Amino acid sequence: MLSLEIGHADSDRYLRDNDKIILTPVFFRLNFGVPIPLAVLLLTTLLAPPADVRARDVPNDEGKNIMVTWSPSPDTDVTGYLVLRQTQGSEIWETLGFTGPLVHRFVDDGAVDGTPYAYKVLAQSQAGTSESEPSAWAKSSAQWFDTGTLPALIGTGIFAFLLLYFINRAKKDKSLFIRRISGLDAVEEALGRATEMGRATLYVPGLSTMSDVATIASLNILGEVAKKTAQFGTPLIVPNADPIVYTVAREVVKESYTAAGRPDAFNEDIVFFVTDQQFAFAAAVDGIMAREKPATNFLIGMFWAESLILAETGAATGAIQIAGTDAVAQLPFFITACDYTLIGEELYAASAYLSREPILLGAIKGQDYSKALIIGFIILATGLALVANIPVLRFF
Amino acid sequence: MRRRLPLFLVFIMGLFGAFAFFVPHPPVRQIDEVLRNDVIRIIGALSLVLGVGSIIRHHFIKIQRKAEHWPYSYITIIALVVSAVIGLFGGIDPNRPGILPTQVGSFSFHIQTIYVNMMVPLAATMFSLLAFFMASAAYRAFRCRNLEATLLLLAAFILMLGAVPFGRMISRHLPAFAEWILAVPNTASKRGILFGVELGVFATSLKIILGIERGWLGGGD
Amino acid sequence: MDWQRLQTIDRRWIYLVIWLVVMVPLIVPFPIKPKASPPVERLFNYIDTMPPDKALVVSFDYSPSTQPELQPMTVALLRHAFARGTRVGVLALDVTGLGLAEDALRQVTAEFNAHALTHEDSIINGEDYVFWGWSTPAITVMLGMGERITKVFPVDYYGQKTESLAITKYIKNYDDIGILVTVAASAIPRSWINLAQTQFGVRLGCGVTAVSAADFYPYLNSGQFTGMLAGMKGAAEYEQLVADKLKESGRDWRLRGKGTEAMSSQTAAHLAIMAFIILGNIAFFATRRRRK
Repeated sequence: MLSLEIGHADSDRYLRDNDKIILTPVFFRLNFGVPIPLAVLLLTTLLAPPADVRARDVPNDEGKNIMVTWSPSPDTDVTGYLVLRQTQGSEIWETLGFTGPLVHRFVDDGAVDGTPYAYKVLAQSQAGTSESEPSAWAKSSAQWFDTGTLPALIGTGIFAFLLLYFINRAKKDKSLFIRRISGLDAVEEALGRATEMGRATLYVPGLSTMSDVATIASLNILGEVAKKTAQFGTPLIVPNADPIVYTVAREVVKESYTAAGRPDAFNEDIVFFVTDQQFAFAAAVDGIMAREKPATNFLIGMFWAESLILAETGAATGAIQIAGTDAVAQLPFFITACDYTLIGEELYAASAYLSREPILLGAIKGQDYSKALIIGFIILATGLALVANIPVLRFF
Repeated sequence: MRRRLPLFLVFIMGLFGAFAFFVPHPPVRQIDEVLRNDVIRIIGALSLVLGVGSIIRHHFIKIQRKAEHWPYSYITIIALVVSAVIGLFGGIDPNRPGILPTQVGSFSFHIQTIYVNMMVPLAATMFSLLAFFMASAAYRAFRCRNLEATLLLLAAFILMLGAVPFGRMISRHLPAFAEWILAVPNTASKRGILFGVELGVFATSLKIILGIERGWLGGGD
Repeated sequence: MDWQRLQTIDRRWIYLVIWLVVMVPLIVPFPIKPKASPPVERLFNYIDTMPPDKALVVSFDYSPSTQPELQPMTVALLRHAFARGTRVGVLALDVTGLGLAEDALRQVTAEFNAHALTHEDSIINGEDYVFWGWSTPAITVMLGMGERITKVFPVDYYGQKTESLAITKYIKNYDDIGILVTVAASAIPRSWINLAQTQFGVRLGCGVTAVSAADFYPYLNSGQFTGMLAGMKGAAEYEQLVADKLKESGRDWRLRGKGTEAMSSQTAAHLAIMAFIILGNIAFFATRRRRK
């Protein structure tokens, strides 16, 4: 038995501009597998190679990356592309990687900064491969500034300027007006109630970590609350769900007791760590509420689905509850089940409001002006978008 | 000095964090990655020791003072020790056994068994409490006291009906209207709150970095 | 009638009623056929008309506590992909989601393989789907997958080298992914937008708990999420669309849909809560009138 293996020939296809007549080996293969090579001339259609291979440094990065892009081969039967790289001064083309037929870019993440490289792309199909022209030499380099962050830098600059300007002004002009925040006005009353009833105050600084600014804001408020409980001699309970937050909260409470002139009233058991498991923590705090029956509960910081579980249990025990969070999805639960709720930014204004320090209040004024600026931009952009979308007005 | 050193560290670290956001150059990126990945993890691991110490001390004090419900503190301490010992030495599951024998016949009490059969149902039970609490909170809070409360009540009704197939039986437009409430007025108010929140975050961060806000240090100077 | 007492009714009565209206329909369900809402339909239609060489990636970013609500979504998504022969990649960003992902894959592949007559019909690990497993931190995974997935996951969940899997040839990075659906009970979908979509342009869909759905509407409106499954209802609607598709293609297997099963319970609970609110308001007005 003889069989003819001609591989690359494809009788259905006709010659195209870039097809060549080349020498293709043809084998007669005997049934016991020994190939007998014969050289004949065959018409072979070649793949159109990828074109326009370009290599450039990936911008705004720490270097070592070169982006290779190419125009795909017009052939529809391409199965993928191989990307090859040559270092200047070397003859060798090393294979970097493979991309699928629909991908026309590749990031070489192993380049040495400052070394010139050229790239070639090989289109592959069942019928064979075809190679592009090499790209121009490209070098990778690290950048000192990420231009993509320019808008953020400008925004940061403007807001920082406004904040610092108003903080500075507040040092001279101490008669700053700040609207009433009923949740914060109620703090003293709530703590007074706990004192009268001889029951404890519970403060939960949220379930998040220190990297969450809401937690830091909560600890600022804890400082003020702890000063007052120290003055009034009200027992304070601060359970924590994060060990780092626990460590900081303990220091905050300790410092506040010292600042209030009652360092003797502080004991290590006021602030404690429970668990970082969300619902185990909720169960533990619910247990504290049910057993100790605190007269006042503060739920201030970052909360998730446990918000209503905590707030409803607190409501069932008859405590006055003051909640505060910037987790927008949890606000409805707190508003429903608590007596007072600090909504979003009120949480961040709280420590200034409670301490009445002029420079902190100045920062709030800076925030307000920043907000006015954002609202101005939104109105302007909405107006422009409307103008652009009304056909009659488009010529503006 | 006790106060100045933390303030100085916060200032340097805060400025560096902002700097690393804008500068992608390798030395900056590398230091930033070490700080974010390694240093935070080390601090986290050490503070976990403090945390575990805290919970043990808290419950020992309760037992010592025979505070109310003190016998439950034994349960917490025993559960903590048993699960830590099994987790550290008992292996993950029957396929990956540890040095402690944690299998009796076909019954295994590896950490995965404890997790799947105790942690998971307990967590799901706590989560499902929400159904009860939502009902009781809605019963107490949703009253037509004034115009705003009535609007809130109406929106809640439409959303609740829109969220179950029954709503479509009442009117085929109801689910679409519920969808509109979520997508338009809800989104608009959320974005408004978020602008305020982000500015608050920015201002608080800046005040802490600059040492203006010292509440987290216990206040004072 | 003592309206005042009704106003301050012991909340345990409310709990009892809710328990009953949730439990009874779970045991004796009444038939409800969910109809897809636009966000669910958009996600389904996109996956259904995706180019055949593009893969669906499902990220199990939730933990067991939200499993009852979210697992039916991932099961329905996997069924949809396998029903139309789309390649699937599965990963978990929550380590406790690994077991859930394995459960879902085992369940759905068994459902399809039970009806398979040939190798072509079968759903085979490494050919039709890959389970990359879990890696941390999330930022590294999200950014790394844009370049080369095998770099982020050198071995899959079962310990096989991902480079050696047949499917890897077709799913190398985000360019080969038609859509990535993140199913989560946390803020992780937002990170997928910030990192994977903003930097690599990958198309995203999400499945979230009903309680957190309102958080994600801004992203749905802006088109950053192609579609969204919200809560048990979203899962039930997707299950129905997939069941209809299977039926159309002559595979009326009547697969169990846990989302659909829970619909009667959820409907009853919603109606009960509304009844409570109405009752509360009647009591409120009656008491107020009496006071006047």
